[in-house]
Amino acid sequence: METQMKRDSLKKRKLKERLTAYSFIAPNFIGFAIFTLGPIFFAIMLAFHQWDGSNDMTFIGLDNFREMFGDDRVKDALWNTIVYVLATVPLTLACALFLATLLNSKIKGRNIFRTIAFFPYVASLVAVAAVWNMIFHPVNGPINEILRMIGILDPPRWAADSEWAMFTLVLFSVWKQMGYYMVIFLAGLQGVSEELYEAANLDGAGRWGKFWHVTLPQLRPVTFFVLMILTINSFKVYDFVYMITQAGPGTSTLVLVYEIYNTAFLNWNLGYSSAISMLLLGLVLIVTLVQFLGEKKFTNQ
Amino acid sequence: MNNKKRFLAGVGLLSAGLMLGACGNGGSDDAEADGNVTLTWSLWDTESTVYYEPLVEAFEAEHDGVTVELLDLGSTDYQTVLGTQLSGGDNKIDIVTVKDIPGYSSLTNRNLLEPLSERAQDVDLDQYAGTVEQITIDDEFYAVPMRNDFYVLYYNKSIFDDAGVEYPQNGMTYEDYDQLMRDVSEKATESRGEKIYGGHYHVWRSQVQLYGILDGENTLVSEDYSFLDPIYEMAVSQQEDEIVQDYASLKTSNLHYSAAFYQDNVATMLMGTWFIPTLQEAISSGESQEFDWGIAKMPIIDGAEEGSTGGTMTSLGVSSNSQNKDLAYEFVEFVTGEEGAQVIADTGTIPAIQSDEVINKITSIEGFPEDEQSKEALETTNVYLELPLDENASEVETILNESHDNIMTYSTEISDGLKNASEQVSALKE
Repeated sequence: METQMKRDSLKKRKLKERLTAYSFIAPNFIGFAIFTLGPIFFAIMLAFHQWDGSNDMTFIGLDNFREMFGDDRVKDALWNTIVYVLATVPLTLACALFLATLLNSKIKGRNIFRTIAFFPYVASLVAVAAVWNMIFHPVNGPINEILRMIGILDPPRWAADSEWAMFTLVLFSVWKQMGYYMVIFLAGLQGVSEELYEAANLDGAGRWGKFWHVTLPQLRPVTFFVLMILTINSFKVYDFVYMITQAGPGTSTLVLVYEIYNTAFLNWNLGYSSAISMLLLGLVLIVTLVQFLGEKKFTNQ
Repeated sequence: MNNKKRFLAGVGLLSAGLMLGACGNGGSDDAEADGNVTLTWSLWDTESTVYYEPLVEAFEAEHDGVTVELLDLGSTDYQTVLGTQLSGGDNKIDIVTVKDIPGYSSLTNRNLLEPLSERAQDVDLDQYAGTVEQITIDDEFYAVPMRNDFYVLYYNKSIFDDAGVEYPQNGMTYEDYDQLMRDVSEKATESRGEKIYGGHYHVWRSQVQLYGILDGENTLVSEDYSFLDPIYEMAVSQQEDEIVQDYASLKTSNLHYSAAFYQDNVATMLMGTWFIPTLQEAISSGESQEFDWGIAKMPIIDGAEEGSTGGTMTSLGVSSNSQNKDLAYEFVEFVTGEEGAQVIADTGTIPAIQSDEVINKITSIEGFPEDEQSKEALETTNVYLELPLDENASEVETILNESHDNIMTYSTEISDGLKNASEQVSALKE
């Protein structure tokens, strides 16, 4: 009898505890459900419909996806996005890691250098991009003036040239973002125990040896985190493109999110744009999954 | 993921807005108990556009208890913002300014504008010189032209005088114009000792493409754009020879066409008639370098009638969500009618109704060039729109912008760029 009652009150208490916990989560979850989860399901549904935002929706099955495979603009956008990700992610990662290790060593004025490296990330995108466009002006920008001075008479036309536009964009992204990831790496570096370096010193490891065999393995969780965030961030790039090239010249820097926006809010083809969003979602999902699996395998070793 | 989320949230908000809007429609009414009504007019550039206020004042003076509020949605993405507002079921907006043809077709495709043919039964549509027909779909139109600007060739008389070259003539062809640009650029650069450009193409596609349709044989919604080939050949070679400024630099430096012309180193520039009051004002206020200027008719191509030019149309419609449709239409009729045209013309701006009286008003405003030819330049025979009405107008606009961009930045050969555009437009039609 007594145990029964005890069990009951225990159950009650547990339920109460759970309810309290849920009620704490609720505000955030409700927000998430209304502004994120709902729209996601709505977008998935839209992908199988034709809708212009005003007239009635019509169900068209897989037509949007079929159309996508024959659409040159989507193909261009997909290809450009992949090129952008493949170029930006490793470059940013390498630069951030390099800066972090450099600015973790005891050099004079390292706080100043850290601030300088972090500055592009803090500065307003609009202002920075405007200045960047002036510096890389195809005709009378300082960069090209310098290039001409050192004997390159026909310097690249940067954002104005379809061959160089993507390069310019990647360069800008790396420069703008590396400071942020540097800070994450710096935080990670603080967690690497001095003892490991001492031990490595005893074993006669040089600078590179210490980097490869101590720093890098110790930073693995941080690197994984940076890699994930960076990849996802790069897939969803829009603002940089808008500020630097407006997807041009032609479609040479047209990326998926840019095309999604155009299809949705210029052409009012909401169903089709949702279908392209699904393509982006699938792409990010696959890449992230692969990274997760790779990481698991890595740590198990 | 942020952008994506934001986008999805946008779609969600949109649908939420639709639901809320649907609820709202049954309820509130702008007509208050004392009979006062407020109409909301969506537009852009309230600050710099001089005729909005006088129009509103004139209308309010005739209608007791009616207030017209201006809702400025910004100039750059006006049509996008407007489209989102109206799609969301916004019933605050009563009177809709339609900026261009892609905007018009996008709004009508989505049934966001009220059909007007029945309401406008008593209006003499002939006074709009055929422009209403250009926006008529299946015998129905959803907006009435308020302003019809067309392109004229502005030229800097001082530069021509210094160069000793004769001013541009009404009725010259694009080939003549090409020669003239090269001539004046060379001679003026020599006599002034600094670089003078013979012409100026602003970064809009229409600056080059419009010439191609002046003979009325083709429109810019086409499945074969090869007719633009000769025009682009000339424009690109002018750019290569530095007769005009480089497209890519203009684009990256975001140089406004007015600023380019004010610098007194550009001899000619094709620009819309909306630039007339702006230029007058800039010269008298000192924003621009001081020089004499004149206008000539837009150069034409072989087979085009003299006085043919390209144009844009700004029209007014009534939102189908509006709760004061009758009154809103009254406002539309007032602004687009003879009375509104006078008010607009008083500010030096060209209204849709271009009677002799209106043209006289504009040419007699102080600062308008005094020579006969500049006055004649305002007489048009055919005005072709930058884009004809088409259900795919906004897609075609994107395609044409991209090919223009590709060609002018030398990213593609002219013929390949045009072929590519033709293929993409054909694909839309399937």
